[in-house]
Order: sequence, then C-alpha cells, then structure tokens
Amino acid sequence: MLSKLYPFSAIVGQEELKLSLLLNAVNPKIGGVLIRGEKGTAKSTTVRALGALLPDDVSLAGACHRSPAVVTLPLNATEDMVAGGIDFQRTMKDGLRVFQPGLLSRADGGILYVDEVNLLDDHIVDIVLDAAASKENRVEREGISFVHPASFVLVGTMNPEEGELRPQLLDRFGLCVEVTAERESAKRVELMVRREAFDADEDAFIARYRKDNERITEKITQARNRFAGVTVPSHMRGFIAALCSENNVAGHRADLVIEQAAAAYAAYRGFREISVDDITAVAALALAHRRRDPVPPPPDRAPGERSDQEEGEREKGEQQEMSESAGEEQNENAEGTSGEKGLEQGGAAANEKDSGENDLSGFDGDRDEDASDVPGIEQLFDVGKPFTVRKIHSPKDRKTRRGSGRRSRSRVSRKQGRYTKSTMKRTNNDIALDATLRAAAPFQRHRDNVLNMAVVLKEQDIREKIREKRLGNLLIFVVDASGSMGAKGRMVASKGAVMSLLIDAYQKRDKIALVSFRKDGAAVNLPVTSSVELAATLLKEMPVGGRTPLSAGMVKGYEIARNYLIKEPEARPILIVVTDGKANKSLAAGKPIDEVFDIAMKISMEERIRFLVVDTEEPGLIHFGLAGKIAGILGAEYYKIDDLQADSLLSIVKNATT
Amino acid sequence: MNQQYTYPFTAIVGQEQMKLALILNIINPSLSGVLIRGEKGTAKSTAVRALADILPEIDVIEGTPFNLADDEDPDVIRECFAVTGQVQASGKTHGLTRHKVKVVELPVGATEDRVVGTLDLEHALKAGEKRIEPGLLAAAHRGILYVDEVNLLDDHVVDVLLDSAAMGINTIEREGISFSHPSRFTLVGTMNPEEGELRPQLLDRFGLCVHIEGISEPEERVTVMERRFAFEENPEAFCARWLDESKKLVERIQDARERYSDVKVSRENLLAIANYCLEVGVDGHRGDIIIMKTAKTIAAYEGRMEVEQGDIDKAAMLALPHRIRRQPLQDIVMDVSTLLRAKTSDIQE
Repeated sequence: MLSKLYPFSAIVGQEELKLSLLLNAVNPKIGGVLIRGEKGTAKSTTVRALGALLPDDVSLAGACHRSPAVVTLPLNATEDMVAGGIDFQRTMKDGLRVFQPGLLSRADGGILYVDEVNLLDDHIVDIVLDAAASKENRVEREGISFVHPASFVLVGTMNPEEGELRPQLLDRFGLCVEVTAERESAKRVELMVRREAFDADEDAFIARYRKDNERITEKITQARNRFAGVTVPSHMRGFIAALCSENNVAGHRADLVIEQAAAAYAAYRGFREISVDDITAVAALALAHRRRDPVPPPPDRAPGERSDQEEGEREKGEQQEMSESAGEEQNENAEGTSGEKGLEQGGAAANEKDSGENDLSGFDGDRDEDASDVPGIEQLFDVGKPFTVRKIHSPKDRKTRRGSGRRSRSRVSRKQGRYTKSTMKRTNNDIALDATLRAAAPFQRHRDNVLNMAVVLKEQDIREKIREKRLGNLLIFVVDASGSMGAKGRMVASKGAVMSLLIDAYQKRDKIALVSFRKDGAAVNLPVTSSVELAATLLKEMPVGGRTPLSAGMVKGYEIARNYLIKEPEARPILIVVTDGKANKSLAAGKPIDEVFDIAMKISMEERIRFLVVDTEEPGLIHFGLAGKIAGILGAEYYKIDDLQADSLLSIVKNATT
Repeated sequence: MNQQYTYPFTAIVGQEQMKLALILNIINPSLSGVLIRGEKGTAKSTAVRALADILPEIDVIEGTPFNLADDEDPDVIRECFAVTGQVQASGKTHGLTRHKVKVVELPVGATEDRVVGTLDLEHALKAGEKRIEPGLLAAAHRGILYVDEVNLLDDHVVDVLLDSAAMGINTIEREGISFSHPSRFTLVGTMNPEEGELRPQLLDRFGLCVHIEGISEPEERVTVMERRFAFEENPEAFCARWLDESKKLVERIQDARERYSDVKVSRENLLAIANYCLEVGVDGHRGDIIIMKTAKTIAAYEGRMEVEQGDIDKAAMLALPHRIRRQPLQDIVMDVSTLLRAKTSDIQE
C-alpha cells in the first residue's frame, strides 16, 4: 500500500454503498457494483477501504494466492497488461516463452476496481467483460496460449456527467448504487471532523477504528460460512419475479442478482432463510440500472437502440459467455422496443408545441438506406413532399446502424491517441517497442549477434501500435434563435432535427457543441462536450426572440471548430448552421448580410471543416433564398427545413462523417 | 552566466485572490491546487512561474527521479530504485538532497507516455531489460504540476491526471510494465473560459478556483507597466529590489506551514461550513473539506491559532465557485457571497 487508507468503518453515511460492497464481499456471484454519483462523495475512498477489511485467509472465490484484494485498472492500461503477454526479459534469457500475467490474473479472487469506468476504452472493456462472464481469462496472443482463472468482483465508479456507460456493460454489474452527498449538516460536520483527524494523524485514526473494522471482517467471514446454507423458499422466488416484471426489467439477470444478493444479506444478518426484508433491502440496488420506464427521457432512448448494435458487433466474442440466455433475452427485448420507443421519443421532442411536425420523429425508418446509397443531396431537393416514415424497425436499418456503431471507435493512423494493442501490419512506423521485443525474445538464442547488441531484431519482429481515440467527430450546431424563428413552428422543426442528430451523436460518441444567436450576439450554449444529455435539456429550454446576428453566430461556431482543430488536427468537424439567413445585425458597421457573405467566404477557406446549412425560410411570395447563397459561398450541403426530415439529415451527416 | 530571471511574485500588481490561492497551496499542499480562470494577459502564467521564487525546500531521497520523501514506505522506495535500474544501497542508507519544490509544466500537447512514464527504449535495446523512464507525474510528486490552457488538454491525458490526482498514485500498466509510484501534486491550471469549459470531474479536482480580470484602476495599470518596463530593462536590479519582500513572504509561508497543524477549528465553525455548502448547493463533500482546510490555512497564514468566521467566508470564496451546482451550461458563479445572500433572502421570504 502506497498511502494509508481511510478506514471503512469511519466512512460517514453512504449506507447503500457500503451494503452493496459488503454483499459482494460475502457473495461474489452477485456480480459487482457500479457506483454512480456526483463528485466528492467518497466513492473511491469506500471501495479502496473495503480492500483493507476483506478477510485474509480465504479470498473471495477461495483462490489460494494472496494479492492486494483491490486491483486498480487504470484507464490507460494496454491490452497486454490487462490480459497478460510474454515477459520479454525472461523469455530472452531463457529462450522459452514465459508468460507474464496481467491485471486480470492479479485480480483473481479479489476486486477489480475501475475508477471512471465510463471512460474506459471499449477494447479493454471487452476483455474485462469476457473474463468477468467466463470467470477465466484466455490469452491467445504473441505465440502463447494460456488460460487462467479470473474470478473477480468488478467494481466501477462513474460520474454520469461525463457520459453514460454503454448498456452492455451496465447490465453486467450486479448492483448499482446512486450516491449523493449528505444533506444533514450534523453529518457533514462529523465527516469534516473525521477527515481532519485522519489528515492530522493517519496512524492514530486508523488505530481508533481498528476494532470496528475487525468486527466487520468477522461478520463477513461468518456470513461467508453461513451463506452456503441459506435457503430460498419458492414463494420468495415468486416475489422476486413479480418485482422484476413490475419494473419492466429486461432479461433474467435481475432476478438472479436479487436472489443472490438477498441470500448474502440474509447470511450477513445471521439468518438461514431469505425473508421479504432481505429482498426489499437489495431489490432497489439490483433494479436501479435495469428498470425501464414505458416512455424514457431522450438520452435513454438511445441505450435501447445501442444494445442491439453492440450485441451484433460483439456476437462472436461472446460465444462462450456463460449467461448467454440472459443476455440474449435482454437483447431481444431491447430490439422489440427500441423502434417504438424511438418514435415516441422523437415525437415527444417535436410534438411538444406542434403536433403537425410529427413526421420529423420517425428517423428510425428504413429511409436511411436510400439516403446512404445516393451521395445525399439530390433526393432532398424534392420540395414539398414530406417523407412518409414507416414505423417498422427494418433489418436493413439495423445493418446501417451496426456500421455506424463501429465507426464510433476510431482507429487513428497518426501517432496520437491511446496505445491499446499492437499489430504485425506495417503501415506508419509507429513502432510498439514492447510488443516488438516480446516478439523477438524467444529467438534471441538462435540469432547471430554480429554487432554484439543485447537484442537482435529482425524485420519480422517489428510490431506497430494500434491507437484508439474514444471520441469520433465534432458536430457544431449554430442555431438561429431570433424572433423570426418563432413563427409557425420553425423552431420546433429545427429543434426536432437537432435533437435527432444529438441522439445519433450520442450513439457514436461524437462530441457536440451548440451555439445560438439572437438579439445582440451569439452565445456558446454548450462548449465542446460529449454530454448529449446536457445538449438535449438545453435545446428544450433555448429561448427565441430578437434580431438575427448571423455573422456573430457563424464566427462563434467557427472559433469552436478551430480550437478543436488545434487539439485534433485530424478531426473533421461539421458545422451545421440552422437559419433563414435573414441577418439584420452585424458585428461591425457594415451591412449585415454582406458581412455574413464575407465571413462565409473566409471560413470556407478552412478545408478541414465541413459545412451544412439548414434553411428555415418559409416558402412564400417573398422569398430571399439567403441561406442558399450562404451555403453556396461556404460550399456547404444545403437543405430546406421542409424537406428536412430527421432521418434523411441523420444519414447525410453519417455520410459526411464516414 | 546567462542567468534567467523570473519576474518576482511579490512584484505582481493586484490579483490578490490569485496570489492568495497560490500561497495557500504552498502552505498546505493538501488543498490540491488552484484553477485560474481569466482572460489573456492577466498575469496568470507569470504568477505561476514566479512561484519558483517563493517555494520552500524539501528533502528528497537521492538517486531516483521520483522525489520520494524519507518517510515513504521502504518497499516503495526499494521498488522505485529497482525500476530505474539503480540498486539501492543496503539498509536505509540512501542519501538525501534538499531542493526547492519544483514547478513541473505539462504542455498541452504532451503525449500520454511522457506524462505517466514509459519503457526505457534505449535500455531495452541495449541491455534487453525492462526499465522505466519516469514521466512528468514522477517529477511532479510533492511539487506543483502546472498546466497552461488546461481546458485544451487532450481527453486521455486528462483521464490520467484524474486517476493520479484522485489517488495520489500513478499506476502504470502499459508496454510490459506494471508499476506504481506515489504522485501527489498540487495541480495548478490556467484557462480562458472562452475557449471551452473543463470536464466536471477534472474541475472538481482543483481545490480552489479564482476568476481574474484585467485591472480596471488606471493607476494600478500604470504601475503594472512601470514594473514590467523596469524588469525588462534590468532584470537583475529589479529582482534585487524585490528580494526583501520575497524573503519576507518565504518566511511567512514557512511560519504558516509550521503553525498549520495546530490551528483549531471549532464545531460551530464546522457547522457554519456545512450550512454554507448546503445553502448554496454543492455536489459532494469535497467542498466542505476544502473550505475547512482553506480556512485553517488562512488562519495560519495570518498568524492566528483559531479559525474565525472571516476565514470561512474567504475560504468559501475560493473553494466554492466551481462547485456550486449549476443548471446545465450555466456559467460558473463568480461571486459566492452574493449568491449566498440571494439564497438566504429567498428562504426568509
């Protein structure tokens, strides 16, 4: 231990969190805990403190070796260190392939702890999930074939503000706890007093709580011994099933988890039979992240959609998954509902003020297909005929989505991004030294060492790094919120379109930024972020009124794109301008519309930014077509709002991002 | 002979909040840093670089780049020696050197391996052995990690910072290396909010937050120009002129460091802090703890042994702006006391 741990028993409040961790300590079959909560609520402190009081003799799953009970998986871990690989130093010396166990091996029989689990690379997540499900880690790489038991309790913490966890991973956590800060001032004071005492003299503080900690350790040990004998009366199973169906839970995992957790709780409390109390005490923890409302709020719609594409992507890797039936079931449910939900959802967004805009909602329909086959623009010039959206979730649509799901994880060719694994394919001389050495190590004894080097490398040893970036593209919305937009549901329509793009962005984990302009200037409502929830809330609340400072809006949007390009020179941000083009407020003294044209000319010079103009001008007798002109100068793709159907805009952006 | 002179900390005009926040962090490193928000050209970076001038000295174990303290766990010390290829002299006879607390700068474009440390390439090829080339997080242990334009930092570098800032440990699990070493640093970041906000999780890691603006007093602006001119004209003489001030400040900081652990904070004070946080609405408990520590540090800096209400008010001004729960996309509160007044009057009505 590098630094002294705050004692578990000294943590004030957070009863649910403590309970869920203790239950997992008693019964690892519960399947881990996901701790969600705001910043600074002792999430990490509690998890690490648990490690200190786990019974020493028999570790969680009865494994024999004794390693630190809590193994931390850092966010930047590489694949070989998580799963294990060749130990090049020893392999070189012995001439035999020596396996170097990874984190999963060290976590066997203990707790694998991922802080900020929602930020972990997909690739590593897959490895961890496979091991968690199969209770063993299978390594087939770098010429080694190795299997070792990897039975661990997965504990993750996350702050939902940083983006949500993908549903596949969410469901794998047996329990889920929402932590919040204490609301009582007396408790907050107690917390400060203890913290201060701890900081002043760690050893004395730990000594003060040693008795309490030992008592908990003792209780865990007893509960583990008692656990095997705990029985579940059949009517209690009925109660559990009823609870789950009442909450619209997908799959059977919740039922199993509740049963396991209730049994652990009964054992912990010293009983030999599960009672209603045990079930009610743990049910909320098992249902928190599995419960589904008939009509979920906007961002939640996406998870349902995601799970089937993720599943599709991962199908192969999950063949050996033990709880396959449960996973499958959940998958089917998700498929069944996501289509309908999508409609309800989009409808809710657009419907709010004007039910006539209903056609915007059906972006789930199979029109995706035509739109993505044709390079996009032409078909959209069929003015005046709104698309009729089929309300069926078609298999073709699924395919497209699966494709986009893959895109969300982008491999980068430049020497930037996180190094996650290595490959033999040579493309860019981004040499992965560690992997190269591991590849060369077994042959060292047999190679002629002419130059008297420690290592003789041959061309065939060279491995390159595969780097990944978590986030895809940047979509910058520049939305006209001037008075003219309030008329005849223009704004409602624009919002509906932006909303559907946001949901798509969420799935692909694109970044988004939102700029609105009205009255005297433009405001960055949402700086570059991946939190689509924020954008969605914000979009609903966006006020309309005042003049149209279009040039200010465009400049702001451009600034965001440019700043982003400084950080990510390889990115291709998309600037989406939603406006009628009737600028009547300029930045400087000139005529507003001339200024807009001028600015459009200047910003179109930046070739890395793509532009998209959505014209919200009403068709009628007096028709200026200004937005069209702006689009021309920008070299932007151009759409009229009335043609703009959410699903077609969606696929257009998809094409642009490919 | 070409000595580089930095502009003396004490010669910075105005920006009292920022200077106070920095000084408090030097006195008490467990305040975990300052975020300085403000426009360009408000002496943000100058102030941070000038810190070098007034930083105290610490004892460091000789022979490793990890800035280890003498009382570090012997196992950790042994391992730190081992991974960099040095063999520790038998027993506990490692030497100590004394140097000033370091300000380590993390450039925005830094790659992850430079930050966390990586496999020593040369050694691996020459000797066929694994050895670690420590990164910036090793150098910043017990020092100050300074990130200019922290809001432009790459996402995965931020993740790494979060990890180590949270645990005080840098864990390396990459490229065949599995190793962790202590890395407790004071995180000092500067940013221009116009260029984007920080991720909430990182925002919370900064103990204190100050917002600075250009000075509006014409007289003070003149002073700024005069001093800057004098410094550029003859840095040596300028620094010499401020030497006394600097020395005084260093002594005061040293004095406060020694006094800090004896400063008392009463239960009433703590209750006041808790209510303060509850009333303005703060996420989590870090706000409470930071206010308590800050108030104690202020008392120590001002030479008192007990925390007063005034210290708490000052501390809240520094510790809360970035922690007050906001509506999505609302701006960060700049004036905590007005907000509190507004909230309490709401309740009274």
